[in-house]
Amino acid sequence: MMKIKEIRNDKLGESVFTAVHPSGLRIFVMPKAGYDSVYALFGTKYGSIDTAVRNENDEFETIPEGTAHFLEHKLFESEDLNAFERFAETGASANAFTSFENTAYLFKSSGDIEKSLEILLDFVQNPYFTAETVEKEQGIIGQEIRMYQDLPDWKVMFNLLKALYTDHPVRIDIAGTQESIAKIDADLLYRLYNKFYNTSNMVLSVVGGIEPEKVVEIVNRVIKAKEGEPICRKFVKENPVPEKNYVEEALSVSRKQFILGFKEDISEPELSLKDEIATDIMLDAICGHSSDLFKSLMDEKLIDMSFDGSLFNGFGYSCVMFSGTSDDPERVSQMIKDEIERVKKQGIDPDAFNRAKRRFYGSFVSDYNSISSVANRLMSMSFNENKPFDEIKICSAITLKDAQKRLGILENDYSALSVITPVS
Amino acid sequence: MSEVRSIAEKVRMISVKTDKFKTSQILVSFAVPIGDSLAANGLLIYLLKRSCKSYPDFTLLNRKLDELYGATLGAGIAKNGDAQVLNISITYIDDRFSLDGESISDCCAQLISEMIFNPNIKNKSFGSAALEEERRLMIQRVESELDDKASYAYEHLIANMCEKEPYGRCRYGTIEEIKAVRMADVYDAWRNILETAVIQITTIGSGDPEKVASVFEKGFSAIKRNPVEPETVYVKRGGRFRRIEESFPVNQGKLVIGFRTGTESFMDNRFAVTVMNDIFGGGTYSKLFTNVREKLSLAYYCSSSFIPSKGILVVQSGIDSDKEKTVTAAVINQLGEIRNSKNDDSLLEDSKRSLRERFTFSSPEAIVVWYSSQLLQQNILEPEEMINGIEEVTMEQVVEASKKLSIDTIFMLSSEGETE
Repeated sequence: MMKIKEIRNDKLGESVFTAVHPSGLRIFVMPKAGYDSVYALFGTKYGSIDTAVRNENDEFETIPEGTAHFLEHKLFESEDLNAFERFAETGASANAFTSFENTAYLFKSSGDIEKSLEILLDFVQNPYFTAETVEKEQGIIGQEIRMYQDLPDWKVMFNLLKALYTDHPVRIDIAGTQESIAKIDADLLYRLYNKFYNTSNMVLSVVGGIEPEKVVEIVNRVIKAKEGEPICRKFVKENPVPEKNYVEEALSVSRKQFILGFKEDISEPELSLKDEIATDIMLDAICGHSSDLFKSLMDEKLIDMSFDGSLFNGFGYSCVMFSGTSDDPERVSQMIKDEIERVKKQGIDPDAFNRAKRRFYGSFVSDYNSISSVANRLMSMSFNENKPFDEIKICSAITLKDAQKRLGILENDYSALSVITPVS
Repeated sequence: MSEVRSIAEKVRMISVKTDKFKTSQILVSFAVPIGDSLAANGLLIYLLKRSCKSYPDFTLLNRKLDELYGATLGAGIAKNGDAQVLNISITYIDDRFSLDGESISDCCAQLISEMIFNPNIKNKSFGSAALEEERRLMIQRVESELDDKASYAYEHLIANMCEKEPYGRCRYGTIEEIKAVRMADVYDAWRNILETAVIQITTIGSGDPEKVASVFEKGFSAIKRNPVEPETVYVKRGGRFRRIEESFPVNQGKLVIGFRTGTESFMDNRFAVTVMNDIFGGGTYSKLFTNVREKLSLAYYCSSSFIPSKGILVVQSGIDSDKEKTVTAAVINQLGEIRNSKNDDSLLEDSKRSLRERFTFSSPEAIVVWYSSQLLQQNILEPEEMINGIEEVTMEQVVEASKKLSIDTIFMLSSEGETE
């Protein structure tokens, strides 16, 4: 019998129920009163950064870029009805995504929720790859890659990551390239599937109009234990100095787009949740809509409302990105750097800090509106060994000093500027 | 279920009272006929959003919003049939999450009403610096349409297809028009929308709608209303078929095909056309997804969408430019299959189940969008009524609706040097 544990947050009036299936699968359920729909995510800790797998001889073997994403597409296939066809029978909207660190399969359903959950658990456990279907997918994903190559905000980010990181695979495109996906075959997909899709490397999170007992009952019925272990990633410490300090590409756009990135010199592979939140609050105090910097940049006609500063981090990488649209990205960069130096000397304005903290508290509370954002948060928290509602507790306890400390990651020597310029 | 109140002549409030969400939202929408003042109206809505009497500049206003736990103001411009719709909204967390007991909701209702009725104006001027900044941002907004090629292709299809209808205009006005707007025009636009627009206030949240209503009743009590109802031209059939092509240095081409559905109003044959559109190119079971993507692997996406406020249906796909004819033929071929009743029996039920799911809204934003899109309709259609209406649709009605589709215009955004 699985033991179901309740984690409660009284202020929010919400509970998360957790359990671990004997197969190692971690389960999270948040029942939401008054919701007709359920959003369920079945995810594995396998993303685009996992470009090397430990094989039988305990050696790391390199796999083609974009394989996690390719596998995600192909898992919908089956010998009989494909997953989309099966979900059509329940009316669920099904989808999947691959990020840097995870692959997840999902549905939103208000009709036959139990059946939809069974289909989700079942199709992810039953791969079916053939030479023919793999080849067909190369055409579809080829178009997906082309679509992304024309998106300036996507390109400006990956160009930055390529400039900041020398070795870390966060620098490669999630979907890979036309050339790399041409190397993928059915045999490789089966091998990687068996490696990464074992139940102890996976999480199920279900949010909305369903009770935890029901979820557990369905898991008991449908999940087959699959041998394997949670994936251990190898932490390779990168030189904090970027590969390049400036990178530029011409695309068909109306004006220049940029991201100024600061690479953090990390000694541990992952940041604590506290450091993540403290960084976001620090950045909001420096460059949010109510900051002096935002006003100066606006007054000088250098940015538009899309200007933003945020933390971007995961296993083995962490950086801050200031992004926007501007006719003069170099000038914007200089003003950001000057402001950082000023704040480093004078300290973060306590009023700005308190405002940013209130803003983040509000945004964490608002997140619980959405069954999809809660399900996603529960999944990523679990993979990062955090607990439900930690973000709200930690946010309330962040001090000015915590935020101040995170200013230290903004080092000019570790920065790079990525610019997309209009094709002349 | 929603509750409807009349606040003033042609000003109604639609509220959904629920405590299942953590946030509340107040959206105020102004609908005016698309005419000469598109650009002035657009600048106005962003000027209203940036400050008000109590918080006379952008920074001060945003500091106040931060203190309100990151309450967010939104402004936007849309088209609803041949009307321009100006939206301004505020979203905030419920009072029960306040950390020091103050009422967030009262404050936010006051704030948005002040932004609309009591903007930061001196001698009929919003301040030239503010106007110039919003003018710059608006011009950039129009220019940046180029950055997203899928939406560029869509907008240019509509502009060409509806060039003789007001709907063909860019919702922001042209860059020349934006440059020509004077302060007096913006002031007049403000008076004009308060006096003549058809207005809907859409609210969702746990608070008492009566409180919000009284704030707006007070605001409108000082305004002499003289509403003008916007009207929409519905073109029943596509005329002479046109194909327009523009090429850019891009990797992927975008094919957009515009059809007329033959409907003559927002509710005309609404349920059948909704199902027909969904079977054609809605869900993953649709004709376009299963054939153009899955079977022929010609595209990552190929889908259709129906615009009931204009009686138009649009197919969009990202493709290799040299495959335009192949993809167009495949799309037309799929439409032919629906017309000739070559449809799996399961398709109708698949579509109804999926639509039922998609009209079962689970976020406050989706609910607000549903009601606000009806601001020009006399009678409110509840999501449940939509679901029930869809439930009644037969395959014969779907086939009939598909026969009324007529192709009007193709817009092809192609990669340079890679055309057929």
